[in-house]
Amino acid sequence: MDEQRARYIGALIYTAFSLLGALAFLAATTLRGDYDWTARLGGAGWVFLLLMIILMPTVTPWVKKRLGGRQG
Amino acid sequence: MKGEMAEGKVKEVTLPVAGMSCAACVNKVEKALEGLKGVASARVNLAAAKAGVEYDPAACSLADMEEAIAGVGYEVPWDRIELLVLGMMGSHCQQNIERAVGALDGVSKVQVNLGTDTVTVDYTASLISAAQIKKTIRDLGYEVSDKAEGEASLDRERRARQQEVRRQLVNLLIAAPLGLLVMAGTFRDYWVLDKFIPSFLANKYVLWALATPVVLGPGRQFFVNSFNGLRRGVTDMNLLYATGIGAAYFIAVINTFWPNAGFGGEKATFYESAALLTTFIVLGRYLEAVTRGRTSEAIRKLMKLQPKRARILRDGQEVEIPADEVQADDILVVRPGESIPVDGVVSEGYSAVDESMITGESLPVEKKAGDEVIGGTLNRTGAFRFRATRVGKETALAQIIKLVENAQATKAPIQRLSDTVASHFILGVHMLALGVFLFWFFGGFNWWFDPNSRFILSPSELSGLKVFGFSLLLSVTVLVISCPCAVGLATPSAIMAGSGLGAQNGILFKGADAMEATAKLQTVIFDKTGTLTKGEPSVTEVVSLDGRQDDVLRLAAIAEKNSEHPLGEAIVRAARERGLAVPDAEEFAAIPGHGVEARRNGNLILLGNRRLMAERQVALGPLLAEAERLEQDGKTAMFVAAGDQAIGVVAVADTLKESSARAVEELHRLGLEVAMITGDNQRTAQAIARQVGIDRVLAEVLPQDKAAEVRKLQEQGRRVAMVGDGINDAPALAQADVGLAIGSGTDVAKETGHVILVKDDLLDVVGAIQIARFTMRKVRQNLAWAFGYNTAAIPLGAGILYPFFAQVVSPELAAFLMAISSLSVTLNAMSMRGFRPSIRRGGRLAQAARQEATGIGRPLEEVR
Repeated sequence: MDEQRARYIGALIYTAFSLLGALAFLAATTLRGDYDWTARLGGAGWVFLLLMIILMPTVTPWVKKRLGGRQG
Repeated sequence: MKGEMAEGKVKEVTLPVAGMSCAACVNKVEKALEGLKGVASARVNLAAAKAGVEYDPAACSLADMEEAIAGVGYEVPWDRIELLVLGMMGSHCQQNIERAVGALDGVSKVQVNLGTDTVTVDYTASLISAAQIKKTIRDLGYEVSDKAEGEASLDRERRARQQEVRRQLVNLLIAAPLGLLVMAGTFRDYWVLDKFIPSFLANKYVLWALATPVVLGPGRQFFVNSFNGLRRGVTDMNLLYATGIGAAYFIAVINTFWPNAGFGGEKATFYESAALLTTFIVLGRYLEAVTRGRTSEAIRKLMKLQPKRARILRDGQEVEIPADEVQADDILVVRPGESIPVDGVVSEGYSAVDESMITGESLPVEKKAGDEVIGGTLNRTGAFRFRATRVGKETALAQIIKLVENAQATKAPIQRLSDTVASHFILGVHMLALGVFLFWFFGGFNWWFDPNSRFILSPSELSGLKVFGFSLLLSVTVLVISCPCAVGLATPSAIMAGSGLGAQNGILFKGADAMEATAKLQTVIFDKTGTLTKGEPSVTEVVSLDGRQDDVLRLAAIAEKNSEHPLGEAIVRAARERGLAVPDAEEFAAIPGHGVEARRNGNLILLGNRRLMAERQVALGPLLAEAERLEQDGKTAMFVAAGDQAIGVVAVADTLKESSARAVEELHRLGLEVAMITGDNQRTAQAIARQVGIDRVLAEVLPQDKAAEVRKLQEQGRRVAMVGDGINDAPALAQADVGLAIGSGTDVAKETGHVILVKDDLLDVVGAIQIARFTMRKVRQNLAWAFGYNTAAIPLGAGILYPFFAQVVSPELAAFLMAISSLSVTLNAMSMRGFRPSIRRGGRLAQAARQEATGIGRPLEEVR
């Protein structure tokens, strides 16, 4: 149950941060430079994917540890 | 987790793990196992494809471990035995067998098939033997025999490896031709290729149709494995490949079906990238699977030595049975040319046995009644009978295999660094890929992009690419080129080959850390008695006033014949070896602290020290000077008097082993300081040390203080090895940086040292250091190459050359470089197979040199 809860909370956190990163990328391409929508959306998608890959294995154990620590 | 387990309940098991390909896989499996309740520690060796687990059987089962390993995308290829079980009558018999066998430690699964009278058991040979399983079923009242030839762990392991080789070969056979077709189609418009390549191959839909089976077929494994890992919050190399291949394929598909979507258009279909990337990665996997098994050839050779059949005597008849069913105290018969099935003691007959496979000794060893024989060795000349003393998992060969397997499952300190780097590397690489993408997207493309620029070693132009396509391309190349596979393989592949090399020479390293420590040694301390010396006194010189040495020795032997003192026994033995008759004395009396007196044919014989001679008023004359000279050499001098006349001196000493002097000389040649530790007084110790050329003497050290002396040297900053008897010198061996237990013979398991020398030969100390140094040299070469590759390749992949030369590395070239990097590391480890320690290269010449080097211990005839 705790394991599931940790995974769920972790998924919320890393998805949210990855989305934020992708949105930041979109904002940056809108404010600066002359990029077409393909580059903007494709780039945002790639940033989102890489951030998910980076954050997934980092956030999940961190959340597990935090939840485990609090219980203990 | 450790704290949760009651001491003494922790068990160790070595599980085979199939499907690992990099250091990140190691990390993944370790994490999965350590995440289980009841597991204290897990260490995984990539090259050996094994996981060593310390666990509490009450809290965690083997099935739990298998599930955890399968959960992260790997397999446990269990040892399996198929038995023909007769006498099963129904489901209750099935349940009985399942319950009884299933309860055995080390058994993972039991399947009973009543229709075919077959019982199939999955188990791990590190905890239980096939014979124990058979015995359990037999004890339930059933008749048991091997269904087929028993599947040894070797066969299982080999089959798992062959399966992997076959799988990757099939993948390669699909990917390579299709990849080449895709490449041919993509580059049709270049050079003169359009004359040879049909135009339809360049059609983007045909390219899609050719590339898709490559990505979804052979490339599927990377997507599945990385997804399995990500679900559990772990990453591995598969993720790098999956993102690389996936990104290239995804963009190519968009540019094929929606060319105006702005991803580079029709000219930027990366099908050749996706297809060749997959092909090269699969090629790397295939070559790795083929070569990796070869680094562990030595242990396979040891496993092959285990004989399958044995001939035992039952009621006077010779009966052939499976070797693993031999019981202790069975009498076995061995004929010329046959392997000896188990360990034992010769009871009848005479032969020469080739023990080179266990001890590394090249010459056959003569065996007669009372001599020990080792299971797995080869009987050469005669037939003999022997009584089994150690069977099944207790035999020397089984212990050696287990020891080497355990050693191969451990990690050298140097490996921990590379594993840590490799495990954090994947995340680092993805961060780097993100950084590279952002850099080229927001700056680099605008500053430097040239539509006429090309990929390195490729005619393909980048003209069709726009900012997103170009940035993505470099980002993907970074992911592919950075694979730290070589870093992960660098240490374990060399350590495996090194420990196998040791085992072939009768040198058993108990772990990778022992090998690393052995390579760094500065001082070697030898225990004197029983290590440098033979440990039993013998007559080294006989001095006679009138030149009749035999008479002196004979009288001394008569006087000592009834004595039980070791010095007396040495004198009697020497007289008999010379062929002298040693009749009984009519009277005999030991005079404590002085010597003995005896009477033969009414004549008085005195044998003893100066005090005895002084009390009996025997004048010693010139013999006194001789005695002093002998004592200077560390020998015990005993005067012999007939009546009241001194007639000679007999010198007794513990003699040096044949190999002592050469071993010390070789150690000096390796740049090591050599010390000797002994309870003897300074003078005796110095005399021995002079004869073998020892640098430092630690004399008058009580047995219990030896460990403290070792510590003193360590406190001086020296890395110290202690060479001694594994049982008596255990504390000193444990205290030393490396404890080398010498002459364990067949009793490998009892030894306390970090390195076990099977033979009683000091030259193996030199061999151990040479093998360890050679192995660590290979480890360093491998690490330098692997880290060097990544350090150089990552900036190339990130486009560092582009601003200057307008060229970038294509993802497929990156994959090729990565495959070559892993392959070179494995091949370097494989090249260790031909290594022989220099002391083994000399053959008979070296043996002659050994005998020449020691003056002491020569036959009595040669003395004086």
